[in-house]
Amino acid sequence: MDEPLLRIVDVWKSYEDLQVLKGVSFELAERDVKVIFGPSGSGKSTLLRCINMLNPPDSGEIYLRGDNITAPNVDLNAIRTRIGMVFQHFNLFAHLKAIDNVSIGLRRVKGLEKQEARRKALEALNRVRLAEWADHYPAQLSGGQQQRVGIARALAMEPDVILFDEPTSALDPELIGEVLQAMLDIAKAGTTMVVVTHEMGFARAVASEMIFLDDGVVIERGTPEHFSVSPKSKRVKRFLNQLDVLYGSHEKLLKLSEEEEGK
Amino acid sequence: MIFQANLIEELLAVLGYWDRLFSGFLLTMWMYGWALLLGFILGLFLAILRVYGGTIFSGVATGYIEIMRGTPLVAQLFFIFFLPNTLNIPSEMWVIETSFSIFNKEISLKLLDYPIFVGILTLSLNSGAYQAEYLRGSIVSVGAGQLEAAQSLGMSRLSSIRHVVLPQALRRVIPAWSNEAAYLPKYTVLVYFIGGVEELFFQADFIQHKTFFPLTTYIIVSIMFLITITSISKLLEFIHKRTAIPGL
Repeated sequence: MDEPLLRIVDVWKSYEDLQVLKGVSFELAERDVKVIFGPSGSGKSTLLRCINMLNPPDSGEIYLRGDNITAPNVDLNAIRTRIGMVFQHFNLFAHLKAIDNVSIGLRRVKGLEKQEARRKALEALNRVRLAEWADHYPAQLSGGQQQRVGIARALAMEPDVILFDEPTSALDPELIGEVLQAMLDIAKAGTTMVVVTHEMGFARAVASEMIFLDDGVVIERGTPEHFSVSPKSKRVKRFLNQLDVLYGSHEKLLKLSEEEEGK
Repeated sequence: MIFQANLIEELLAVLGYWDRLFSGFLLTMWMYGWALLLGFILGLFLAILRVYGGTIFSGVATGYIEIMRGTPLVAQLFFIFFLPNTLNIPSEMWVIETSFSIFNKEISLKLLDYPIFVGILTLSLNSGAYQAEYLRGSIVSVGAGQLEAAQSLGMSRLSSIRHVVLPQALRRVIPAWSNEAAYLPKYTVLVYFIGGVEELFFQADFIQHKTFFPLTTYIIVSIMFLITITSISKLLEFIHKRTAIPGL
């Protein structure tokens, strides 16, 4: 069997007394889109931060195309050029124009000439439909535009995989669509992605597998169909029901509040 | 009547020594400029150590900063002034002098000798500690997310600090840092105490002994400081506006 693009083996991570990840494993093939979801505090973000070694795991191994990136003496900077990251709060470089946010990695890490870096950065901005905003500073862009620049910044490096850490949860509802559209576009173009999100519509559209994480362990995994039709564990059912109440029809929310009042 | 003679008469008498006021002012500004610049380089180094240096380096930087901020500048000046003597190290210094004439007056200016060197060195070491704290604050305010984003692209820690954190931190530090830029000319005055440095207060003392008009002399010297420091503040305000990040 071919070595998967990304292989996570029994990853554990704690912050001081708090055990956040308790043995998480999964694999990711080329062009896969993996959606990770679960309640807040379940370790989703920590898992992503372990994968690109911003917070190295306490134990367990992570293999990127067969290279053990958790081994000692690994050049983490070199590894990180192969793993893109899109942040919940965008983390765009505030002092740089959109185009320079996207090209800084190409210039400072890949050592490209200014013109070549600019050309590639424009190409990446074009893929998230922001080419005409190239000369704007982050503070001059809407949240949705900023996040698309964030996606372009990761794309431009042509990484093996891009990690998305709740990319739409800091956005106003009307701005979420454009970001999800950009993510759909690049997913369909064959980008391998690990996405932490509660956007079930996005998951249904492109996820090859979904993983439900709770309290640092994988509770259940399956296709989007599996989760929408026949989730097994009670914990997952309850969580999905809550999402449905929040994002579904307002009648459900009304009913819930009536029930609360009735108590 | 607070003036000994006619105000105009006093002013003219003191301003008759304008060449001394001018050369004293130049020497004060010369020491100030070096101290601010060298203090900035030291401060930046200390601030980076404090924020990113890990337990040991950060501890060393913190210790240094606390010692420099917690002891009198005059004590530091004397300490460094007498240190070579105590250790039996010769304290001869290359002397750099320059002279030029302006409005038919020959002005000779000593730019470097041992006391001036001690002044610049001590002021730099002291100012560096204060500047470090301003810079540390602005570096921290840039936030860990910026550094993480840079590192997630594969940039090294050093390159991330250099290309992402510092360009933002140095813009943000200007309003707070202008405090130090405005204080330091007044601290420079303390070099007067180690003696033999012909800076502005040395010259003022000379003039008031010659004219017997101390009040007018020190009012004029104070006005010179007031104009200088106001100009420095305005200049920094201008730079702050010019370097502001669009949209922020």
